Order: sequence, then C-alpha cells, then structure tokens
Amino acid sequence: MSEQPGTATADVIVLGAGMAGLVAATRLAEAGLRVVTVAKGYGSLRLAPATIDILGYGPEPVDSPAQALAGFAAAHPEHPYALISQVMLADSVQWLKEHVGTYAYVGDPSTNMLLPTAIGVPRPSAVVPETMAGGDVRRLGPVLIAGFGVLKDFHAALAAENLQAAAYALEARPVLLDAPVGGQADVGALALARRFEDAAFRGAVAAELRAAVRGEEAIGLPAVLGVDQARSVWTELQQAVGRPVFEIPTAVPTSVPGMRLDRELAGRLRRAGGRLVLGAEATGPELRNGRLAGVRIRSAPRVTTRACRWVVLATGGLASGGIEVDVSGAVSERALGLPVHAPGPGETRFGPSYFGDHPMETAGLRVDGSLRPVGPDGEPVYPNVYAAGAVIGGARPWREKSGDGISLSTGYLAAEAILKEAG
Amino acid sequence: MEEGRNQSVRLGGVAATTPAAISQPSVARPPSPAGSADGRLECEVLVIGGGSTGVGVARDAAMRGFSTVLVERGDLATGTTGRFHGLLHSGGRYAVKDPQAARECIAENVVLRRIAADCIEDTGGLFVTTPIDDPQYADRFIAGCRDTGVPAEEIPVAEALRREPRLNPRITRAFVVPDATVDAWKTVWTCARSATEHGARILPYHEVIAVTRDGDQVTGIIARGPDGEQVQIRAQVTVSASGAWAGRIAAMADCRVQVLPGKGIMMASSHRLVQSVVNRCEMPADGDILVPIRTVSVIGTTDTPVEDPDHWAITQAEIDQMLEAGENLVPGFTAARMLRVWGGVRPLFQDHAPAETRDVTRAHAVLDHRARDGVGGFLTITGGKFCTFRLMAQDAVDAAAEVLGSTRPCRTADEPLPDSQERRFYQLGSRLAERERTLTDEQLICECELVRRGRLEEEMARRSAPSLDDLRRAVRLGMGPCQGGFCMFRATGILHQVKHLSAAEASRALLAFLEERWKGVYPLLHGDQLRQARLDDWIFQGVLDVEHLPLTAPTRQPESAAGTATGPPT
Repeated sequence: MSEQPGTATADVIVLGAGMAGLVAATRLAEAGLRVVTVAKGYGSLRLAPATIDILGYGPEPVDSPAQALAGFAAAHPEHPYALISQVMLADSVQWLKEHVGTYAYVGDPSTNMLLPTAIGVPRPSAVVPETMAGGDVRRLGPVLIAGFGVLKDFHAALAAENLQAAAYALEARPVLLDAPVGGQADVGALALARRFEDAAFRGAVAAELRAAVRGEEAIGLPAVLGVDQARSVWTELQQAVGRPVFEIPTAVPTSVPGMRLDRELAGRLRRAGGRLVLGAEATGPELRNGRLAGVRIRSAPRVTTRACRWVVLATGGLASGGIEVDVSGAVSERALGLPVHAPGPGETRFGPSYFGDHPMETAGLRVDGSLRPVGPDGEPVYPNVYAAGAVIGGARPWREKSGDGISLSTGYLAAEAILKEAG
Repeated sequence: MEEGRNQSVRLGGVAATTPAAISQPSVARPPSPAGSADGRLECEVLVIGGGSTGVGVARDAAMRGFSTVLVERGDLATGTTGRFHGLLHSGGRYAVKDPQAARECIAENVVLRRIAADCIEDTGGLFVTTPIDDPQYADRFIAGCRDTGVPAEEIPVAEALRREPRLNPRITRAFVVPDATVDAWKTVWTCARSATEHGARILPYHEVIAVTRDGDQVTGIIARGPDGEQVQIRAQVTVSASGAWAGRIAAMADCRVQVLPGKGIMMASSHRLVQSVVNRCEMPADGDILVPIRTVSVIGTTDTPVEDPDHWAITQAEIDQMLEAGENLVPGFTAARMLRVWGGVRPLFQDHAPAETRDVTRAHAVLDHRARDGVGGFLTITGGKFCTFRLMAQDAVDAAAEVLGSTRPCRTADEPLPDSQERRFYQLGSRLAERERTLTDEQLICECELVRRGRLEEEMARRSAPSLDDLRRAVRLGMGPCQGGFCMFRATGILHQVKHLSAAEASRALLAFLEERWKGVYPLLHGDQLRQARLDDWIFQGVLDVEHLPLTAPTRQPESAAGTATGPPT
C-alpha cells in the first residue's frame, strides 16, 4: 500500500468524531499539531441529549460526581474513571465550557442537577446546556410541561405526571400546543427546531404559552428551540412569555441539542486548523518496526495509507461500531484490530433480565495510565496509540449516566498524553 | 384484527368484546350468553383456549347459532398459534411422512385462501434438494404429492434460482407448490371479531382455575379475570381447545389426555431473504424451511419434546443449528441481521408416548370424554396444526352439536372472515401504499412496520389490557429492525392518553414490554443487531432513564401467557 501523492503526513490521526474524538482533536489542533480526524459518519453526539453526565448512579444516586469519583474508581478498578483524576475531570469540563461559546454550558462536577427526561424521570447530570438548567427539579417550583401535537417524540401529559410522581413537592401540569406548521401532522424535532428560528413562528408559540401559563410556573418544552441560534431563540422566548423556559431532551434521534454541540465542537476543530474527514473508515494499522507508522483508510472504494506520529482511537463502543461481535461471539476492535477485553466464547454475554447484569456491556479495550491500549500482558500494544471514549471497556455508561464524562475526560487526557510527548 | 371496528366494554366485572355494528348476519341472531352482574355467565358452548383452534371453534359454534363463550388466560393467539413461522402449508411437507396430514393441509389451504384472503400472502413455495439432502427423496416427494393431491410441479434449477436469486446455487432439483404465508394473529383476531359479530363472547385474560362438575357431567368452569375476580361460566358443552395445555385442563375435570408438547424454535431476520417459502426437499427435519412473512424471513424449526409447555429454554446449540440451516438454504444467511428468536410448543396428541416427537402424526383428534373417561359435556380438541384449525373447529363443533342434539351444519368453509370479503390476498406493499395516502395527515409511530397513529389508537381503544406487547402482535408495532427502540416510547405516551392510564400504569406497560422484548432478543445479539440493541438501550436507559421511573401509583398488570413462559416469545 503506497502513500497517495499529495497526502500530507499528519502528526495525529484521530479516528472517530464523537465527543472523545472531537475533544482530543480540537485540543491537539489548538496546540499546533497537524490533526486529521477520520470518521465513518457523524459521531454519536448527534444522538445524545448533550448533557455532560459524569456519574449519576454508582449504582446508588450520586450527588457530587467530583466527590464520588475516587470511591467509585476504587470499587471499579477496571472502569475508565480509575484513570481520571478529579483535577483532570475538572480541567476537561472547564475546557469544554470555554469551547462551546455560543451555546453555553453551566454547572460543574461538584454537583449533579436533576433534569427531567422526556418521560419525566429526574435524571442526574452535572454540566448542562444553559437552556436545560432551568429544569433542575431540585430548584423547580410549579411547572407547565408543554408539548406539540405534531411532535410524536414528546408526551407532555406523561412527562408531567411522572415528574410530579418522582419529585412530589413539585406541581407539574401538561399543555398541548397547536403550533402553526402548515397542516402537517408529523413534524420531527429537527424540523420543529428550524421553525423556531423563524420569529413569526416563535411569536405564535409564545402567544399560546402566555395563554396557558399560570402564576409562577416555569415552562418545560421539548429541546427544539432552534438549531444554530438556540441561545437567542431561548432568550427571546422567555422574554416574550415572561416566564423561565427550559428545554427537555427528546428521546429519539436526531437530538437537536446533540446537533448543536456537534456543530460547535466540529467548528472549533476546523477553526483550529484540524481536518475533519467524514465518510472514511480506518481498516487497519500500517506498521514499521513494531511501531504504528500510519493508518490504512478506506474512502469509497479506495484504500490509502496515511502516515502519522500518533493515533487517537475514539471509534466508540458496541453502539457506535468501534467494538464488534460476530455471529460466533468473537469480539474485535474494528479500526486497528486491537485486543478487546470481553466475555470469551462459551461465556455468558447477556443475562436474561433487561435490567440485569450483562457481561458484554463492558466490552472494550483495556488501557494503561496514559490511555494506551494494552494486550493481555498489560503492556501497550503500540507506544503511540491512545484510546478515548466508549472504545475503552469497563463502563456501563447509560446505567451509570457516565458516558459523556468518560468521553470528555479521556479525550482530554489522550490529547494531554500526546502533547507531553510532542514537547 | 387489522381493520376491526369492535370496541371493548366492561360488563358486570367481565371484560367482553361486543360488536359496534353487526355485519349482515346470515342467520337469525343466536341467543347471547346470558350474563349477570355478579360475574356469572351461561351458554351452550364454552371454549377453553384462545388460539387458532379455540377461536375457530367459537366462530363455528356461534355461526351455527349456539350461544358461545370463549376464555383465554392471556391475550388471544399468544400460546402456540402466535409462535410459529407463518407457513400456510400446501401439504408438501407431509406428502411422504404423513399422508393424512398432507391431504388435510391442501384441503384447508384451498379453504383458507377462500375465507381468509386478507390474512394470506400468496407467496408460493419451493421444495429444493440442497447439498445436504438425500437426492433420492425428490422422487418419493413428487409421488407422495400425487397420491395426496398436493399440486407440485418440477421446474428447472435455473428457473428456481431466477425466482430466488439468494438460494443456494448448488441445489439439484426444485418443485413449485402452493405454499403461502399467513398472519396468525390477524387470522385469530378477525375470527374472534366474526365470532363476536355472531353473538359469541370472547374473554381474553380469563384463566381457568377450576372445571366444575355435577356428578359425571361437566357443567362449566370458574375463571380468574384480569382484576383477579372470579367468573363462573355454566355451559352445556365445554370444549377444551387448549392445545399443548390440554392435558392440564383435562386433569381439572379428572379426565386424562396425553399431549406431548414438542418445542420448535424459529428466528427472524430483519428483511426478506426470499420471496417465496423455501423448503428442503427431504423428510421433515430441523431447519428445513425459510418463510418470508410480512417484512421478515423466518427460519425454522426444531422439534424437541418438553415436559412442561410453560417452562423450557432455548439453547445456544439450537440457535447455531438454525443459523447453519439458514446458511444451507441461503448462503450468507449468518451475515443477515437476526432480530429475534422464539419457540412454540406443538400439541402433539398421543395416547402412547413415542420416542421422537417428529414421529407423531400432525393430524388432530376430537376426544369425547364420556366415552373415554365417563365424563359428559366435555370435549377436547387437540393435535393438528394452524393450517387445519378451521377443520379442527368444524370437527369439534360437530361433536358438540351432537351432544346438544343439534344437526345445524358448519358454514365456516364458505363464509369469508371480515376484511376478506373481497377475497384479495394481502400484499407486502399495502401498508406503504396506505402510508403514502396519509403522508402529511397522520403521524407514523413505527417506522419499521409503517404503523399509523390512527390505527394504533383504534387498536388501543379496542383492548382492555394496557399491554404494549399485545399491541405489538396486533399491529406489528416494534416488530422491525429496531425492535421498538423508536416507537415504544411514543406508544407509551399515546397509551397513557388513549386509555386514560396513570403514568405509573403506562410506565409499567413500557417496562413490561422491554423485559418481554429482551427475552427474544438477547440469545442471538451480535453484529449490527447488537449495535441496534445498544442504541435502543441508550434511548431507554441513557436518555429517558426508564430504570428510575416512579411506579408508585396502583396498577393492574395482566400476566400474559407469553409472560409466564421462560422461553423467548415471538
């Protein structure tokens, strides 16, 4: 496999464009390294509610992720958080807040907020978009949950009733809005979010809300308040209604807040000089003297080898396809063929109860203290390959409410390790 | 059930389905089962079991003018009926091994095409000799078909491969037969609707807890209703159509029926790998058929005797066996997305236990317990298979009529089911065509199976039990590749609204669905379907956090028959 003419050598190839990949790539690019990010498609950020969940359940409810971190790591030595210090976590959160300028994040790892989900469960999350923070049930008074008849992915009555049952001090009541969508019955979250960027549409919704809201109620709406102009849409809507408004993430992809965060981070990466190549897929390592000298990358029918000094592997776990299980039960890491820690053939992969224990859930790479994937002997497979995000095994991100915190902090740490080596 | 117009009402503590409109009754209205406010019912014919046979018996009896009540412990068609591959046999499968079953199959194949067209897709079928099959069998097959009246025509291998390009190119012979596929749930629900329109009372979620007797005469049953209430039903004839569970019901009347439950497992792929039914041209064997039904293909099946029809498991070896069988029929089969695995237990009637369940005849038997056990007013219909359910019902009701001293003739072979009056076969693209008509006017709740909101709400309104799994069977909600990942939260919100449930009840329905789905999904999670399952987990556990739903409000949770089996459901 020869190098294509005109393909410049990169300092770092980042594989994957989710939270972990974008954070690592942006940080490295801002430090002046030549970074190419290669991803099969948009990262999983576009599916995510875009809250930075650090640790919500361990499995007992966690009030302060920062304080709980050390104890959680001690109890779960194979969890990626065993490698993340409280300082590193705080630094990574600070970095993120500074890098998402037009769509501000509030909160910090010292305290979990409890934000309502679309089904009305107060869900722990530490660092959240400012448009959602008002939903924190720890501080919420009476609330009006407003849904749209045309939006099938949000059910205000169900959310309000569950919310009231879950946080019984609260009064929550639903209203169904009749937004002017031109007679269409089925309008998705993203389409609705684009409508909100139109002032006339916003005005009509504000008028409906003014008529529906009572007294001191805050207003919870599905997270569809604009895509690129979320902050101004949210601010103007609050002014027009005269009550605090907060967003509640919708359940089913595409996630509008996830799209906002994805655009922000990808924009930052490009502005820092990083390249982002979508629609390409790593098919294996290019080795030279036991060291990874480059990555073979397939784009459409063509495979090229791109040379690099370091790789950040951030292709995600089972959900994103970074880790694969074939029909025989064999587990593999897709991009570089690294050894995966997972149940072996004949071992239990999944248990019979949905909320039970499923050994395969924690399948992924094992890494050393600087996030280099290691083999069965505990030694790094390559000295210059780092892993970040869900490709690292040991976590149950959705049960723990830890996924974004793991991706953010390991993405940040992988960049840190490379920057140290680069001098 | 697809386009029904019934509505559920509550009547004296008994959930009953009554027709909103009677569609051209062709006989005088039979006497309705008499009900009283204290949970008692009286009828002429009482049917135990809401599978295809039981519902068939209820329809037949009601059409003959008998006042009829049917009880089923779970939802209709959740036992064996809802757990098969959906093949409407031509009879070819049994042409050599079981000629009597073959004759019955082809006769009923013709009848069902006439009366239940809307439930049937006329896919046609092939018998092909694959590399692992005995090449001598093909000649015995064609002779057997000739002897039993099953139309079978040999076609060149090239022609078979042209029709089914994914078929193993190493097949050596191919025969065309009139196999078809049939939607068992839809058939049962339309039969139930028809029975109701003829005056029958259909009571799902009513479990028999006792068979009552007066001396040597069975007088009816006591059932436990959905709210735990007891319902006494008195009947002149009680017909047990409880399939693999027939021995258990008979024992309640101190009668003896030996039914050998034979477990068969099946697996569905995410799309149709073939467009016609493909059978191995071989003696009936494990993994000998691939059935294109609705949007999926189903590989089946196995045959293993089990002790208890409610408690059995699916093993990894059985799954591997089905994958291998699929690969033999359609090379590359194991690379397809596998949605789900499930099993059903066949009711194989046998008075003397044989060594292998495959050696038991697929033909059915009507047992009059007066002759067998000295107990009158009690019949058992068991054995048989889905394809012959109507014939089984006819035989059972003939026997019941004899007990009642009546000679009213059976009319079920000629009168089409509701929705099948026009005798047009179901076509795969029909939902898409309907969707295109309502594109901007109505919400699409399940993208995989193209379920409209209006259709879903109508079905919810009709049912008394707030079960999302029942809705899945009724309208195929969540049956597709995402297995409910996208639609079930929506359905929960709609159910909460339409059924005026408490949020806790709606939440329990969602959690029950997730548990039920998991049973069929987890044994074969791998490849892209595992990715899908993890995305679904992300939605339910990560984004919605359903694990921490408040469930404090009181609720009533019907326990379905499917829910009590340890094996994965369909």
